[in-house]
Parts: sequence; structure tokens; C-alpha cells
Amino acid sequence: MNPETYAYALLAFPLLSATAIAFCFRRSGAVASGVSVGAAALILATALHIIFKVENFEYSVSWIEMGSLNVDFGFLIDDLAKLMLFVVAFVGFLVHVFSLGYMKDDPNKARFFGGLSIFMFSMLGIVVANSLVTLFIFWELVGFSSYMLIGFYLDKPSAAAASKKAFITNRVGDFGMLIGIIMAFSMFGSLNLTDLSDAFGKDASLLETAGVTAIGLLLFCGTVGKSGQLPLHVWLPDAMEGPTPVSALIHAATMVAAGVFLLCRTGFLMTFDALTVITWVGVATALFAGFTAVAQRDIKKILAYSTVSQLGYMVAAFGLGSLAAFHGNGGDHAHMGEAVVTGGVAAAMFHLTTHAFFKALLFLGSGSVIHACHHEQDIFKMGGLKSKMRITFWMFTIAVLALTGFPMLAGFFSKDAILAVALEANSAAFYLLVFGAFLTAFYMTRLWIIAFLGEPKSENAEHAHENGPVMTVPLIILAVLSVIGGYVGFYPEVVGGVINAIPHPDSAAHTTILIASLVAVFAGYGISYFFYGAGAKEDRLESAAKPLHTLLAEKFYFDHAYDWYVAKVQQRVASILHFTEQIALAGLIIRGMAGFAGLIGIGLKALHVGNIHVYVYWFIGGLALLWALTGIF
Amino acid sequence: MTDIFFYIFSMLALACAFGVVFSRNTVNGAMFLIGTFLSMASLFVLLEAYFLAVIQVLVYAGAVMVLFLFIIMLLDVKETAARKANVYTWAASLIGFGILIVGVVAINSADSIKTQAETLPEAQGVSLKNFGYELFTTYLLPMQVTGFLLLIAMVGVIALSKRLDSQ
Amino acid sequence: MIALEHYIAVSSLLFSIGFLGVLFRKNTLVMYMCLELMLNACNLGLIAFSRFHGGMSGNLFVFFIITVAAAEVAVGLAIIVALFRKRQTVEVEELNALKD
Repeated sequence: MNPETYAYALLAFPLLSATAIAFCFRRSGAVASGVSVGAAALILATALHIIFKVENFEYSVSWIEMGSLNVDFGFLIDDLAKLMLFVVAFVGFLVHVFSLGYMKDDPNKARFFGGLSIFMFSMLGIVVANSLVTLFIFWELVGFSSYMLIGFYLDKPSAAAASKKAFITNRVGDFGMLIGIIMAFSMFGSLNLTDLSDAFGKDASLLETAGVTAIGLLLFCGTVGKSGQLPLHVWLPDAMEGPTPVSALIHAATMVAAGVFLLCRTGFLMTFDALTVITWVGVATALFAGFTAVAQRDIKKILAYSTVSQLGYMVAAFGLGSLAAFHGNGGDHAHMGEAVVTGGVAAAMFHLTTHAFFKALLFLGSGSVIHACHHEQDIFKMGGLKSKMRITFWMFTIAVLALTGFPMLAGFFSKDAILAVALEANSAAFYLLVFGAFLTAFYMTRLWIIAFLGEPKSENAEHAHENGPVMTVPLIILAVLSVIGGYVGFYPEVVGGVINAIPHPDSAAHTTILIASLVAVFAGYGISYFFYGAGAKEDRLESAAKPLHTLLAEKFYFDHAYDWYVAKVQQRVASILHFTEQIALAGLIIRGMAGFAGLIGIGLKALHVGNIHVYVYWFIGGLALLWALTGIF
Repeated sequence: MTDIFFYIFSMLALACAFGVVFSRNTVNGAMFLIGTFLSMASLFVLLEAYFLAVIQVLVYAGAVMVLFLFIIMLLDVKETAARKANVYTWAASLIGFGILIVGVVAINSADSIKTQAETLPEAQGVSLKNFGYELFTTYLLPMQVTGFLLLIAMVGVIALSKRLDSQ
Repeated sequence: MIALEHYIAVSSLLFSIGFLGVLFRKNTLVMYMCLELMLNACNLGLIAFSRFHGGMSGNLFVFFIITVAAAEVAVGLAIIVALFRKRQTVEVEELNALKD
């Protein structure tokens, strides 16, 4: 079979599942869930086959041909795509299985599984896309699936508002991305990824031009929107209104990682200036989100801000790694095509993979906790779950340790790689990222202590009990991956192109990094334990430093700023436009033309006098006109 | 010799046409029209379309004009008084007349109607056999349709002539 | 020598006279007679063309014109009679109900 048949099958399974659910199985939730999980299993099987048995290939078929615009539809399966494919398919399958248990009692689960299927279709489309146009199309589809799933609970107005916010914020980012794509097309004449990277491989001086910087930054706008970087991060915490499996799959492991994936795909066209901007946006996001997470009470919001922070790490890793490659080549742009692609890209992708594992585990674990506590989400109302939900507790603990970078677990190695490139490229960024690691340890330990240790703080926590195997087995699998996912040897050779490029610092730098990260992490554990002890009843930090806490709790007043902007500025502009439209368009042009046609009608009506002779005179007139036209006269 | 006949009959036709247009009495107008038809039949003969000349006399002058006269007498049309023509009518009439004359002259001076051939092609309206042959082969469909048309006209006339009792 | 132009001149003049008759007369019946005059002028033209350019089609067309004109006269006169019964007049100026 042709390799592209597998890629087509990969896209066909979820699409068919979604279509079948949409048209036939709307009412019967059990059948819909079965179809969707079946499709997810088939996707996993196909993905594994592609990863292990199919050579890297590129396939394209001509799709749109309009003059000079030739858009191809095709697939690009290389090491990067294979790694991402594994993450998406595997985590997706586990989340599907988990949802069987989590959504068992929900009356609308058919719609839920339909949404999951369409999401899988769109995400896989992004992963295998070979041109910026098809990537953009699937990008938008992913945004739509996210909108549909965030607003899943139709009776909660907050969910509807959150889904709108997500879609609009994404749209703002996508607008920049679209302009970037158009600029790339006008500059290079083609939007195929291989064509573009070839253009840069041949002529590395392109990396000096301002136009290419602009393209890079505009494409980064798409990442800012989709991966929740500053200032468009506001949608991610609100997106927690959706069901927890959705948060796990979309807003932790895969969709938000699509932004990082885009950066990695288009890494070859990032110039020095663009990379500097990207790096600092990433660092700022990482720190900002870390600070905000310290003061949150909702378990899912804490995890959401943690996601934003980790995404900031990934973006910063990409930027720093690529900057390091610039330095390493000493400004020699001739080899830029190969080196830049791999260093920062590899670090970012590595952290993306490990993050997918333990963040999905964290979300699924929190979902398990929420489900057991009858949908209670405030951590200050939980507590004492350690003895009541043993499996969840231990899996969650593993995930927390992995995320914070406890030695020998997955997060430790990927964070190490990021800190390595940071040290090499920009030491200020290095120290900031180390501080970010401290914050991560701090707030995650806070969450762990308050939610699981100590005494139960409410009725629901008293009656919590462990969930069935449908919900615990995925947790166990993800926990295993969180442990072993950091070891390079775990990854098969087929994705070696990415894995082998993960930066390994030399020994002097390595010691610095090791010491710095260990100090930060254990300081975080310690200080957090000091503040919250074993099961604090309310937030001691809040009582200790009230103004600071309020600032953090209100998310640095970002939402308030946006609200003010929309209410004051945007509404006024909209009113002006509405007024103009009423007067000029509707009034002058449309009604004017109608009135003009009416006038002509009245004029013609006056010709009908009822006198036959007058008609005959008109007849002669017409005859004369015809003669003149035919040239008789 | 035939030239003189042409001039005589064409003058006659034109004079009768003027008579139709300007005669007060409607019956006189009808008689002038019959005169026109007869002159035109003669012109047809000059053009060697004998069958059509005879048809013209039979159908037009014979049947159509008789019908006209029946209706004139049925409706008891009185003599029309001299019409008072106001300025507009005169102006419009003169303009109309002018346009028509110019049109006639323009048509006549067009190149396409100047005969180029030295000798005339053979007149084909002479033999009735040709007529019948063409009518039943090339123009079969129009002939059948015309048959239907006459049927429909007859039905229509009967329908229109019924007195509507409900009115 | 009588050439095509002469016949066409006669035909056009007859047509114009008929047209002027339609313009000038108020009586519907007289207008109708002038219409017949116009039709005949066309017949003459057709036969002239047919004679001078060869071929039978002109003659056959005239044959059909005569037939159809006869049918048309019958129907038209029936309409005029019906109109007369309704309106008691055949003056065109009084028949202006379609004005507005």
C-alpha cells in the first residue's frame, strides 16, 4: 500500500466517526462513545504503523490552481511529524478511554464524542500537513472543535462566554498568522513547507531581510493565540469550563502544543530579531503564569496556568535554542538551514512530549478527583484524599514530581535541555527560567498538599472514593510514560532526527544547570511546605501578603483590561460603523437605487396614454432607430 | 411593352392606396382597396407568379374584402367628419412621413437590391407543379401548421361571436 | 428595363401609404384595411426578390402570408364586432380603457 494511503486513513477514521455521530447517533450516547473510541483505537494503530513501518515521505496532490496560486494538498511525514503523531494519537486514545468513564452519566455524551472525533481529525491534519495553507485550514478547524467542546455544557452561560472568548482570542492570533502566510506567498510564490525550506537552504542571506522577520513574527502570532502566550493567554484558564477530558486532551497535550509545532515546522525562516522577540515572549509568559498560579483556588485553573507557563517554556526553548545555533555558527549563515532547525526545535519538542504525558495525567487525575468529590473544584474544599483515592493519589504525585523536575523523571530531563540552551544563548533568560522552575515547584506542591494531604475540608471530600478501572488505567499508563519518557533511549530510532538533536551541555555548564535547577526545585518544595504545612485551612499566603495576593489572584488584571477595551473602544468603533452603514449603504445606495428604479417605472408609466395613434408614432420612432442602427440611413 | 404595363399598374395601385387612406366613406375605402389588390395581382403576373396572382384575387379580393364589407355594413359605420387637426398632429404626421420617405429612398439606394445579373434567372413561379412539390416536401411542416391555424382561427371566431348572455 | 429597384420602390411606397393610413385614421375598420395594404406591399416585395434572385422560397412565403392574413382578418374582425357590441363604437380614441 502506498504510504499516503495510511495518512489518508489516519484522517478518514476520525472524520467518518464524527460524521456518523453527527448524522446517525445523536441520541444514542453509548453507540456514539463506542464509535469514537473505536476510531481513536484505529488512529493509534495507524499512527504506530506509520511511525514504525513507513519511511519518511512527502506526498502532494494538486488541489487549487488559480493563475499563479497553486495550492497542494498533501502530507509531510518526517521525524518531527512522527513524534507529534505519537503524542497526539496516544494521549488522544487514553483520553477517549478515560472519557468513557467520566462522561458515563452525561445525557449529551454523543455530542461530546462527536466533538472529540472532529478534534482528532483537525489535530492530525495539522500534524501531517505539508503546506501552510492546509495547516491553516486545520488550525481553524481545531479552533472550532475547541469552541464546540469548551461550550459543551449548554446550560452554563459561563461556558458559552468562555468558548466565545477562546474562539475570538484565537481568531486575533490567526489573523496575524494569515497575514504572515500571505506575505510568505507573495515573497516566495509557494506555500509548501519543503519548497520554503529549500528556498532558505539555497539563499541564507534571506535571513537578514526585514520581510522575513515580519513573516516569522506574524506566524508567531498564530502561536501566541493558539498556545496562549502573553497577551493572548486569557482564553486558556477560562477554557477550563469544558469537561475535564477536553481540558486534558485539547488544552494541555495537543491543541495548545500545535502552536509550538508550528514554530518547529517553520523554524527555518526565523531570523535573529524574530527569535529574540519569541524568546522574551516565552520567558515572560512562563513567569507571569507561574506567579498567577500561586494564588488560584480552582484546581483546574491552577493546572491551566501551569500549562500556560510550560508553553512559555517551550516557546522560550525554541527561541533560545535557535539563537544559540546562531551564536554557535558564529554568524555563518551558510549552515543555518540544518543547525537552526534542530537545536531549539528538539528541546521544545522534547518538552512538548514529556509535558503532554504528565500534564494529561495531571488533568485526568484532577478529573478523577473532581468526579469523586461530586464536581467540587475548589482545592480548599478538598483534602485528605490520600487515603480515600490511593491510585489517583500516587499517579498524581508522580505527575507533580515529573512536572516540577524531580531528578530522574521525565520533566527533569526536558527542563534540563531547556536550561542548557538558555545558558548557552542568554544568561539573563537562564536565571529567569530557573526562577520559573522554583515557582512551578511552589504552586504544584501547594496544590498537592492542600488537595490530598491533611483532613477533608468538606462533605464531598469525606465521601470521596476511588473510580473504576476505566478511569484509573489511563492514569497508570500515563504515569509510566511520565517516568520513562525522559530517557532518550526510550524513543525509537524512527524519530531520531529530533531526539538526537536534543542539546547536551558540556560538563562545566552541566554542573551549573544541575545545581541551579535542583536548588530551585527543592527550595520550591520546602517553602511551599512551610507555608501550607500539612493541610492548611485557608491560604496563608493570602493572609500574609494581601495586596500582592490580590494582584496575582486577579491575574494581573488582564481580563479587566480587555473588558474595558472591548466595552469602551471597540463598541464605539462598532457604533460609528453601524451609523455609517445605515446612512450610506442602506440609505443612500440601496434605497437610492430602489428609488431610482421606481422613478424609471413612473416615467415609463406616463407613456401609456391609451391612444393607439401615439403608440404608432412610437412605432415609427423605433423603426427609424432600427434603420439608423443597421446603416440604411 | 411590359414596362408600360408596369408603370400603369403601379400608378393605379398607388392611386388606389391613397384613395383608401383619404376616403371619407368607408365603403368607398373598401372598394379602393379592392382596386389596389387587383393592381397588385397584375404586378404579380408581370413578375411571372401566376398562381399567386390568382390566389391574391380569389382570397384577398374575393373573400377578405367581402368579409370586410359585411362587417362594415353590419356595424353601420357612418361617414367620418373632417378631423380637426391641431398643430401637434400635423407636426408628428409630417415627421413620420419624412422618416418613411427617407427610409424608402435609403432602401432603394442600398446596394443589395441592385440586380447584378445580365439575364434574369428562370422564373420558377410559372409551373404549379414546382409549387406543389415544394409545398409538400420542403415546407411540409409550415403547411400542416397553417392548416391547424385556420382551424383555430375558425374556432376562435365562433367563440368570439357568441353573444355572452351573462354580460 | 424594369429592374428590382422599381418593384421595391413601389412596395416601399405602398407600405408607407398604408402606415400613414394607420396613423391618420380613427376608424378601426379603416385602420385594419390599411394594415392589409401594408401586408400586401410586403408580398409584392417578396415576390420581386424571389423573381430576381431565383428560387421558390419567396413565392411560398407569400402563399403562407396570404393564408395567415386571411385567418387574421377573420379573427380581427370578430374582435372588432365583439368590441362594438360592448362599447357601441369603433372609434379608436374612445377605446382607451388600458390607459392606467
